[in-house]
Order: sequence, then structure tokens, then C-alpha cells
Amino acid sequence: MKCSFLQTGDVPHALRFAFILLCMLSFPLDVIAQETATVCLQCHSAQTGRGGMVVQPWKTSIHAENGISCHDCHGGDPKDAVNAMSPARGFLGVPKETDIPAFCGRCHVGIRDDYLQSAHGRALGKGGPTCVTCHGSHDIKKVTLELINEKSCSRCHPYERAAEIKAAMVETERQFMSIEGRLARFKGEGVDTEATDKELFSIRNTYHRLFHEVNTNRVKSESSKLQGELAKLDHILQKLDEQRAKRKITGAFVIAGALVAALLFYLLRKTYGNDR
Amino acid sequence: MNLVKRIYNWVDIRVGTGELVEKELTGYLLPVNINVWFSMGSILLFIFAMQVVTGMLLLVYYVPDADKAFKSVSFIMNDVPFGWLVRMCHAVGSNMMVLMLLFHMLSVLFMGSYKSPREMNWLSGFILFNLAMGISLTGYLLPWSQLSFWATTVATNSVGSVPVVGPYLVEFLRGGKLVGPPTLGRFFALHVAVIPALIAALIGAHLFFLQRTGVSTPPFGLMDTTNRWQNDRYRYESHPGGIPFFPHYALQDLTSIAVYCALFLGVAFFDPYIFFPSTAFIPANPFQTPAHIKPEWYFLPNYQTLKLFPSEFLGIAVQVAAMTFLALLPFIDRGKEKHPLKRPLFMVCAVGGIIIYIALMVWGHYS
Repeated sequence: MKCSFLQTGDVPHALRFAFILLCMLSFPLDVIAQETATVCLQCHSAQTGRGGMVVQPWKTSIHAENGISCHDCHGGDPKDAVNAMSPARGFLGVPKETDIPAFCGRCHVGIRDDYLQSAHGRALGKGGPTCVTCHGSHDIKKVTLELINEKSCSRCHPYERAAEIKAAMVETERQFMSIEGRLARFKGEGVDTEATDKELFSIRNTYHRLFHEVNTNRVKSESSKLQGELAKLDHILQKLDEQRAKRKITGAFVIAGALVAALLFYLLRKTYGNDR
Repeated sequence: MNLVKRIYNWVDIRVGTGELVEKELTGYLLPVNINVWFSMGSILLFIFAMQVVTGMLLLVYYVPDADKAFKSVSFIMNDVPFGWLVRMCHAVGSNMMVLMLLFHMLSVLFMGSYKSPREMNWLSGFILFNLAMGISLTGYLLPWSQLSFWATTVATNSVGSVPVVGPYLVEFLRGGKLVGPPTLGRFFALHVAVIPALIAALIGAHLFFLQRTGVSTPPFGLMDTTNRWQNDRYRYESHPGGIPFFPHYALQDLTSIAVYCALFLGVAFFDPYIFFPSTAFIPANPFQTPAHIKPEWYFLPNYQTLKLFPSEFLGIAVQVAAMTFLALLPFIDRGKEKHPLKRPLFMVCAVGGIIIYIALMVWGHYS
């Protein structure tokens, strides 16, 4: 076989040198991009005492997940290590217990109002719970019904009424989870879910306002209404599922048609053989 | 004489259709040992036609404006009757085109059909493969999704590694410092006008070379499997006693196209999302880089190669060298033997190359 390519042999020294030089020249100067972190995280991460204990819980929180950093709550300058905790730069520090609802409520306005109107809020400063009693201060997780549990609630009062409220909300929560999952799937398949998303967002807001309600009857009746609204969304999604199932059935027929055509062409080709 | 026959005769005495049919169809003889791999070209012609038709249909509703592109694609997918099917066929079709091109090139490689006098057939085919990659890349940006935007950002960034002119090339491609509305305009023009015209011209050239050189004889089922072409004057490789293109091999082409259609529609109807990560359905956001952004499967080996080298320039240089080697293969490999099993060095290189290509693709996917 006459193949002049890819023959092995000694690589000339000049070629080796050229290759090494090429490698050296092609190294970019700014190879590694430094990961940027706020000065708050840089200092507190290095601390070993109480100050250092906040960083890791925050990293696992819903706040970190959504890009809410230290300065978004505590103020200050996250870019200037010297003045990071200067009141002149808006540093607020740690709020007093009675200031906590207002502190969190700068962003969570509706929830602050609901809390203040509830039995929990009315007991603020008189031994009642604040936001961080149930939600934690730095390891804040996405709110689910799991937050209502015997261990947490019975720190202050008997669990019975809380359990009754939780039971009334379980079915609503299940419906939310189911609809959210299916909506995410449809969205990932290019379905325009904007209208349904908006509807769900509105229902979810109403649902979240129940989280701070301690009137069992109201929770039950509101949950029942929400379940009705969610059932309508569920129906819309069912229609979408049916439409997709129909598409697949049609597709199966078209594919079968293509395969039958292939078989017929093949058989016809065989009848001709190799004769002219 | 019925009307059809009278019309045929009217045309025949003016343009000689009978002679043309005899010469190019019924009298166009192919090797008796021709196999199914020779129908890859017909499948690719069919795919190109499908891409043109579905692309034209998409053009009816698509708006090449950064503020409206995503919504227009969403409108096609959700509100236009059968719009979802047209879009899926176009998107899945582009992937299938690259896949079939790879199969076509591999069959040509293994059967030694690239050897003299078919250097120009190989070169035109190789350029067509690159144009297909180019049209896929430019089409990728058009939906203006997160995937489109960031994949294009990564792809155009790579060009910046070219010494001296790299930064200017990036700016020229993007129409600015960053990917933005001018990039969409440029890629749209390339995707719907420039590259299709080039592909059509190259297909014409490819078919012209095929028509002038004749179909190569496959090396299977023969005693003598060497290339008998003599480098002295032009000769057409005829196949006396061979099988006619029409109806014989045309039916093989139709069988292959129908099987391809079944496969293609299977993906389009049942799981087109193997080609669409969820970021493909989120509108482009220049301020939010998605995690784990990856190019399409056929660019994964290139992507992984770039990551393997300490600098992008070196990664690009290696790829350019490999592509140049492949493009010039008929001029480098001057051996007469065509049967792959009688070309051990070729087999080692080809199989090794395929394994490395697939390994880089898998590695790129999971890296």
C-alpha cells in the first residue's frame, strides 16, 4: 500500500522547538478569572467565632439562591472593606427583636402585614415569635408546609390547632406542587405558559397569605376556594396533555406510513432485480 | 394519441427529453455491487430540500428583531397551525443533516471513493459539511433564547483567539463588542441568504463532479479492489452491464429516504427535546449566564478540544490542522487500494479518529 501520510519517524528538533514556543506564546496572561465575593463574605468566612457562623447557613439559603446577599438586608458597602460596616454607608447591623418584622418587611411587605395582624404579630415584644423564630435568620429555606411542625410550634403552644391548619392546607400544597411541576415541563418544551403562570402566581400569593393566619375556619374555607381555582388550571394542563397525546398518535400513523412506503419501494426494487 | 403523449412529443422534439431520460436516468448505469451507502447523497438532497421548505414557512412568521424574535418563535410553536411541527422539523432536520453528512463522509472514506480522480468531489463535499455546520450555528441564534445567546457568545469568543486579527474578527461577526441585535441581523442574513446560496452552488458543483467522473465502484465483492484510474487524460468511469439508475437505484434511494423519514419523524413527533435543553425556551438575558451552557452535539468535540489545551489559540490551531488534513486527504493518501481491510494504516487512523471524536463528544457533554 502506498500511503505517504502519517508515517512515523523522528520529529526534527526545529519542529519540536517551534511547537514548544507556540505553546508558550499561546498561554493567555489572564488565565484564571478570580471569583469575586463581597467584602462581607471575605471577612466573615475567615472569622472563627460567632461572626463566621453566618456564612455557611446563608450559602444554603433561598436568599443566596436568589442572589440576595448580606448588604441587601444589613446595608453597608459590600465593595469597601474599611467602610463596609459604616452607618454612613447605610449599615444597619443586627436588628432588635421588635424591629425584625419591619427589617424583613422592607421586601416582604404583604407578609409583614399578615404577620402583624395575626396572633403571632400581636404578641410581638410580649414573648411572641418574630420572623426568625420560625424561618431562621440566615439559613432561610423556601417556605413549605414542613415549616409547621410539632417540634417548632410546641416550643410556644400546643400543636393541635397548628396541625389542623396544616391538614387543611396539605391538599392545596399537593395541587400546587403538581401544577408547578407540569408547568415547568411544558415550559421546557416550548409551550407558552405565560397566562397560566400569571394565574398560578396570583393564586400562590393568596395561598401564602394564609401561612400567617391562625384562624382555623378561615384557613379551611380559603383553602377550599384555592383548590377550586387550582382545579381550573389543572384542567388547562390536562387539555395540553391530551393535545400532545393526539400529536403522538398522529405521529405514529405518519411514521407507520413512511415505513410501509419504504417496504413497498424495497419490494418493487427487488422485482426489478439487476436486469435492465 | 392521447393528450399527455402529444404534450410529451411536443416537448421532446424541442428539448430532447427522451434522449435526456435515456442518458441520465434509464441509461445511466451504476456498478452492479453498488450498496445502500450510495443513497446517502439522495437522503441529504431530500434533507436540504426539507430545510429550505420548512425554513421558508418559518420565515412567514419569524421576526429577525432582538425584541421580537423569541416571541415570534413562541407564536409559531403555540399559535400557528402546525407551526410546532414545522419548527421541530426544521430544528431536528438540521441535526439530522449533520448526522447524515457524517455518515456520507464516512462511507466515502471507508470505500476509498475520495481517491483520484475524485479529489474535487471530496473537497466540494468537505466544504459542504463546513457550510452545514455554519448554517446550523447561525440558525442557532435566531430564536434569541438563553441557549442561542450564550452558545453564540461562547462560539464567537473562540474566534478571538486567532492571533492579531482575532478581536477584529469577533467584532465583525458580532457587529459590536458583545452579542446583541446587530449579531442577530448578521446571522439571519447568513442563515437565510448567504449560506443557503453557497450550499446550493456547492451542491451543484458536487453533482457536476459526480456526473463528470461517474459513480465510483465500491471495493466490496470484487477480486481487484484497486483504483484503476490513469493519470493521463479525462476518462468517465462507466459501468457497462451495470444496473440503471432509473428505476432500479432510484427505488433504493426512495427506500432509504422513506426509512430516513420514519426515523426523522420519530424524533420530531416523539422526542424532539433531545436537541432542546430547557434554556432553549427561555428568552435571551444578556445579564444572566446560565449554568452549564453547552453547544450542539456536533460542536461538542470542538468545545472539548478547546478546553483540553492551555489556550484557546492552541485548541483552534489543532482543530484547523486536523480539518486541513481531512480536507487534503485525497492529495495526501495516493495509495491505489480502496478496500478498507487492505488499508491497515488507514483503518487504524480512521477508527482511532472516530473513537476520539465520539469520546470528545461524550466528554464534552458530561464535562
